[in-house]
Amino acid sequence: MESIKLRKITSVWVITVLILFIVSITLGILMRLNQGEVISQSPVTFYSNLTTHGLTMIGIWFVAGMAAVNYLMQRYIKTSYAANVIALVFTVIGVLMLWTATFIGKFHAAWTFLYPLPFKEMGAATWATLLFLASLTVLGIGWLIWSISLMTQILKKYSIAQAFAWQHFKKNPKVETPPFILISMITLIGVIACLFAAVVLLVLFYAEYFSKGNFVNDALLMKNLTYFFGHTIANEMLYLGLAVIYELFSEVSGRPKWKTTWYVALAWNFTLIFVLTAFFHHLYMDFVQPEGLQIIGQLASYLASLPAAGVTVFSVFIAVYRTKIKWSLTNLLFFIGIAGWVIGGLGAVIDSTISNNIVLHNTLWVPAHFHTYNAMGNVLFSLGFFYWFSTQFSENSKVSKFTTLTLTLLLIGGIGFLLAFYFGGADSIPRRYSIYPSDFPMAAPMATIGATFATIYLIAILIFFFNIYKRCLKILFSPS
Amino acid sequence: MQQQPILVLFLALAGITTIVFTYIFVSSKKAAQSEKGMSNPLKKRFWFSLILFVILSIFTTATLPDSPYYLFADETPAKVVHVAARQFTFFLSEKAIDPASPTGEDIELPADELVEFRVTSLDVNHGFAIYNNSNRLITQVQAMPGYVNRLRYKFKEPGQYDILCLEYCGMAHQAMRASFTVK
Ligand code: HEM
Ligand SMILES: [Cu+2]
Repeated sequence: MESIKLRKITSVWVITVLILFIVSITLGILMRLNQGEVISQSPVTFYSNLTTHGLTMIGIWFVAGMAAVNYLMQRYIKTSYAANVIALVFTVIGVLMLWTATFIGKFHAAWTFLYPLPFKEMGAATWATLLFLASLTVLGIGWLIWSISLMTQILKKYSIAQAFAWQHFKKNPKVETPPFILISMITLIGVIACLFAAVVLLVLFYAEYFSKGNFVNDALLMKNLTYFFGHTIANEMLYLGLAVIYELFSEVSGRPKWKTTWYVALAWNFTLIFVLTAFFHHLYMDFVQPEGLQIIGQLASYLASLPAAGVTVFSVFIAVYRTKIKWSLTNLLFFIGIAGWVIGGLGAVIDSTISNNIVLHNTLWVPAHFHTYNAMGNVLFSLGFFYWFSTQFSENSKVSKFTTLTLTLLLIGGIGFLLAFYFGGADSIPRRYSIYPSDFPMAAPMATIGATFATIYLIAILIFFFNIYKRCLKILFSPS
Repeated sequence: MQQQPILVLFLALAGITTIVFTYIFVSSKKAAQSEKGMSNPLKKRFWFSLILFVILSIFTTATLPDSPYYLFADETPAKVVHVAARQFTFFLSEKAIDPASPTGEDIELPADELVEFRVTSLDVNHGFAIYNNSNRLITQVQAMPGYVNRLRYKFKEPGQYDILCLEYCGMAHQAMRASFTVK
């Protein structure tokens, strides 16, 4: 009974995320076309689309990861259905409020809404800022309830030490913490921490808004809070995807399940620390930030890549190398996604080097690398889960003939779209420019090329969507 | 300048990654049912991680001293330029700028001498990014309200330099710019 309800709400998540994804990609293509001067939008329209695109994308891939983790967690512990429903309702309401603020109110402070820009916008409706802040509050509360609920359920079955898999540091541990539980726990802590930072941030915004100028915030503190929230949530949603891979990769490949060992436990415990301090790399160009924090930023960014590569990537290599496994769309998406994650990570490590950052910061290099590990990394992790989920309850699990086509289009479209960003970044072209100054003659043609490849990517997503939505609807409307 | 080697490094690393993943994928496709997979995976994992750690350490030690906070830190600048950013212009002046009625002037800077820009903002966060004659980004710093960031630089080539805003600041962000000359 319980599991049928969970099944149904998960299929609602899958369909919701995919529809919002298609809308957001379309906004992305429109942005690239505008930068390519193929279409001509007003700057305010462009920047409000940028805001909608960025926040919707972050939001949907976060909830996609959460929904997948919630679904799989049922294998180990009882999760709260109510929390899942609350999160769904709050997400839908939050997104509708956000879209009203951006599409109608023309709120356009970008997804980072860096203080004090939301208070000093020109060309936006006066009510838009408050509605925007309210929309984030709704999303934040819904997600906080969900993640706290999942974490408390874990802690009902496992002690804190077990949830962190500390017993694996000793020889022959009596209880095994499944990797899935360990990673979920580590990730949920990070999620909760950054959502709390978001709450503090929002309270400070409200305080200034309602004090009518009597209370003024400190711009440096607000920037630190903003990126603690923004960077961390963007990273944690990737780890949600990795939790899914640890659980499903071997299973769908027909291989023995991955186990927690001392180095897996160690790697993920370290990851928690590094991921919470790496956000300092967003403030390298603020020279007034204490120097020690800048150094921590580079060290944490570098070190975060060690456990990730040494444990997760290597585990995938071991599972695949010279081993006959069952390849399906699910584990192909996981495998390609891991490659995309690594390549995006390389771009990120290069950018997180302070002496490189000074010529890369806020150029197109930034959207280049984060789109790599999102559009060609984390998104594929979730799509892999979606596909696996959709085939769980149907009789005919025949191999889809769309697999090769989908993957080919995804790869061609994705790589072309990303390369246009990387070359732009190396060419010093700024990010977040609605149109490019004439100093950069290659910028507009490159944007058009990017838009063209992004359209191929969109086609792949549409094929994928039409491939699975019927099965998801069937799960949703099947008699309980 | 610096960007070209960065791009080449990245493309090389991305290429190697792609080759490794493809190789591993193909090895699975070709594998016979009986094949045992990777031998001694624990040992290989150890060496892989260790080598990665060494490479990262070398990179950190090599790059940290080049961080902008240490460049020209113990020299005295020959010239100081005050910069105040405001939606959507930059004010540059050799005198301190009055936030209540900011004004700027044409700036001419000496080549091969140390210049310090004292950069702040009068409203939102902006970026202060310097582009050379061939439109390459050569250095930058943030302009933050309530704070003054000091950016030091020695211009080698005479000519016109452009300043672009590199922190998103609202509807005319893409048009926010200024310039100065180096003689
Ligand atoms: C093929 C699909 C996509 C297209 C065509 C696309 C396009 C774009 C474009 C053109 C920009 C503005 C770049 C600039 O600064 O000039 C952008 C920014 C952004 N995109 Fe995407 N994108 C796609 C997928 C994704 C995905 C999967 C994510 C997932 C997290 C994502 C998250 C973001 C974020 C966070 C920003 C920054 C927004 C901001 O600057 O405030 N995008 N995207
Ligand atoms: Cu500006």
